[in-house]
Amino acid sequence: MAEYALKMSKIIKTYGGIPVLKEVDFAVKPGEIHALVGENGAGKTTLMNILGGVVLMDSGEVEVLGEKLSHLSPGIMQEKGVAFIHQELNVVNDLTVYENLFLGRELRTRLGTVDVKAMCREAERVFSGMQVDVDPKALVESLETSTKQIVEIARSLLLNAKIIIMDEPTTSLNQNEIDQVFSLMTNLARDHGVSIIFISHKLGEVVQFCDHYTVLRNGEKVSEGPLRPEDGTQVDQADIARMMVGQDVLSVEVYVARRLGEAVLDVNGLHINGHVRDVSFSLRGGEVLGITGLLGDGKEHLVRGLFGDIPIDSGSIVLNGKPCSPRHPAQGKGAGLGFLPSNRKENAIIKDLSIQSNITIVSLEDCCTAGHVLSGKLERGMADKAKQDFSIKIADFGNAITSLSGGNQQKVVLSKWLSMSPSVLLLSNPTQGVDVGAKNEIYAQIMKLAEQGVGVIITSGEAKEIIKICDRALVMYHGSVRGELDRDELTEENIMILSTGGELGKNDRSTAVCNPNS
Amino acid sequence: MQSKQLSTNRMTPKKFLDQYSIMLITVLMIVIATILQGTTFLSLSNFVNIVRNNSVVGIIAFGMSLVIISGNIDLSVGAQMVLVASLTLDVVNRTGSAFLGVLTAFAFSCTLSLITGLIVTKGRVPSFIVTLGLQYIYRSILIYTLNGGGITTRNESYAMISSYNLFGWLPLQIVYFFVMAAVFFFLSKYTVLGRHIYAVGSNEKATRLSGIKTDRIKILAFILLGAAIAVAAVAESSRMGSINSTSSGTGYELNAIAMAVIGGVAMEGGKGKITNTMFGAFIFGLINNILTLVGVNTRLVNAFKGAIIIIAVLLQRKSRER
Repeated sequence: MAEYALKMSKIIKTYGGIPVLKEVDFAVKPGEIHALVGENGAGKTTLMNILGGVVLMDSGEVEVLGEKLSHLSPGIMQEKGVAFIHQELNVVNDLTVYENLFLGRELRTRLGTVDVKAMCREAERVFSGMQVDVDPKALVESLETSTKQIVEIARSLLLNAKIIIMDEPTTSLNQNEIDQVFSLMTNLARDHGVSIIFISHKLGEVVQFCDHYTVLRNGEKVSEGPLRPEDGTQVDQADIARMMVGQDVLSVEVYVARRLGEAVLDVNGLHINGHVRDVSFSLRGGEVLGITGLLGDGKEHLVRGLFGDIPIDSGSIVLNGKPCSPRHPAQGKGAGLGFLPSNRKENAIIKDLSIQSNITIVSLEDCCTAGHVLSGKLERGMADKAKQDFSIKIADFGNAITSLSGGNQQKVVLSKWLSMSPSVLLLSNPTQGVDVGAKNEIYAQIMKLAEQGVGVIITSGEAKEIIKICDRALVMYHGSVRGELDRDELTEENIMILSTGGELGKNDRSTAVCNPNS
Repeated sequence: MQSKQLSTNRMTPKKFLDQYSIMLITVLMIVIATILQGTTFLSLSNFVNIVRNNSVVGIIAFGMSLVIISGNIDLSVGAQMVLVASLTLDVVNRTGSAFLGVLTAFAFSCTLSLITGLIVTKGRVPSFIVTLGLQYIYRSILIYTLNGGGITTRNESYAMISSYNLFGWLPLQIVYFFVMAAVFFFLSKYTVLGRHIYAVGSNEKATRLSGIKTDRIKILAFILLGAAIAVAAVAESSRMGSINSTSSGTGYELNAIAMAVIGGVAMEGGKGKITNTMFGAFIFGLINNILTLVGVNTRLVNAFKGAIIIIAVLLQRKSRER
């Protein structure tokens, strides 16, 4: 047997001249659970997509089970025993378990009809090999999420997978389900010699369950090593967090120290079933409060709940001294809240309306003459002000909003809220899909708004972003606030430790003051 | 990263074609018909006929356009119009007052459309399904109530509502068509509600997250259609002097949708212009008229209409994709 089940060497990949992977080496032994970790954009997904045959590399070598592969494609990789289990489960809910397992390559009887018996038999054989109990005839819809995941793993085993890539497999699972999936993974690795590449942000799980780790940062492999104490490792969760974050020096300084006003927003015991648990905080006028955490940790739901987009189950919100419980975004707006949702294209851009109409949509009533007739002149005035305040590059207000670059689109959907002079702005991923230059411009705008006394809440999964502009940050983990960091405690390490479920002890609470890099 | 070049305000030939293609097609049809038939076609009385014959459905098409732009559809308009018209005639006959009849038409029709809108928005049932069901319900109630027959009025002032000729040659029915065109054009272009209707149809989520009550907007679009149906019901029943429970208003929903679609209203919502729906109604009428004048068997007229609908949408797709 080859020493390595998988050996990728000197993998290079660039997108439009920007290097995404710089001579990355990555090797996995047979029967090993190997964690691949790194921040968003570090290159994990690209590396795995190359392995899955979905993305072509520029140069490099891939060896699977000792065989050097000159050409990679999804079909070839499947044949060679590489299976990719994506974060979004790839099962058909309306079909049964065995139908899912054999989708596209159903077993047939001699008459050419599907051979249900044979498929169920095969399915049961695989499940018993995995030591799990799943009814092949059950409807997938009726299964727990973890069982659905098991179905996906079973499907890859039916394809004789030797290397299984699991991308964030545990994000949608509860603790019991996570334990079940991990015991299955361990069993597959130990008893069946299957190699598992485990991509996760949950460093606790990584340290607990994996044999080996590789850390990617900005397209480079920065570190790798064993994780089992018996292999003589000394790496812990905080070390990996530090390696992921690296020693990057923050570039342009945008943060401006300012005097904060009175509390404008008080949130107490906010609860949204299944997403947000007992969150309390207070926001002062002119303050920029960051809410961070990993994907699915409730920060999105929290701001959507505050704005009235989704119902709140319990808790109180006090805005400008008045109790406020918006049950519709119109009420949130009426109370003085502005909201920039994430996923611009889906949630913020009204594609059939012009740039001008996208700006004025929030306060269209203010663009009317006395007789409730829309005035082009008033609309143009409001749009012009937004354009100047946010230095948006617009050739013609009548053009389609989709003709603008991502950064300018984002500025449009952010600037539209200014016309209503909000007392609190909720910004969800404000620089999503925006290039670096525009990012800094947006940060500067946010600072300017804060200086004018607007309370700003920013949710972001990017620690760098939070550090750059926030006065204070709440770090969420599984729906509740894991910790609160003041500006002098805002470091990527602290954020990473809290957002991966760790604790900050009194002593290892690193502060920005003694961090030489900021 | 998307970085399309910012275009300037200049009117390019492409832009011109995009905006005025419907008008050009209308003019083209008129020119061709004039060449073929000369003054038989190009006469005032013929044009009055064309517009009058399509004014009732055309009025509905304006309301239908708003509902489609808002992201919904209404398949019950034909049956609703007849139901409204029959109640209106009944009120006129009982009270002898044309005014009370018209009032009834508006109140009843808007209420029915409010109910449609409420089921669609609050019940979260697709409008296609809701209005398909309502169409059966309205028609069935109508046939049951009128015993499969019709209802007639001899009220002269009610008859004048449609048939009175302004200046001796312009039937009021045509005036209603153009007035409704103007009203709906104004609503769609110069009111907050109109803008919100486009916004909801284009991206409901983003509109809602801009703090706009999207359900309310969608219901109001239905109610505006209800008002258009009321006008259509009065125009139709006053011109005919009667309504038949089985034959009146059949196919109106599809014809109204066809006019909107020919005029460039996109079925997925967010796009369309009332002025172009008006030209869609003209084109619809012209096809009928020209084919009859040229001597094509009337049984084939619908085949041509069908072809025109598909071609119109194909052309608009092409011009949008370019």
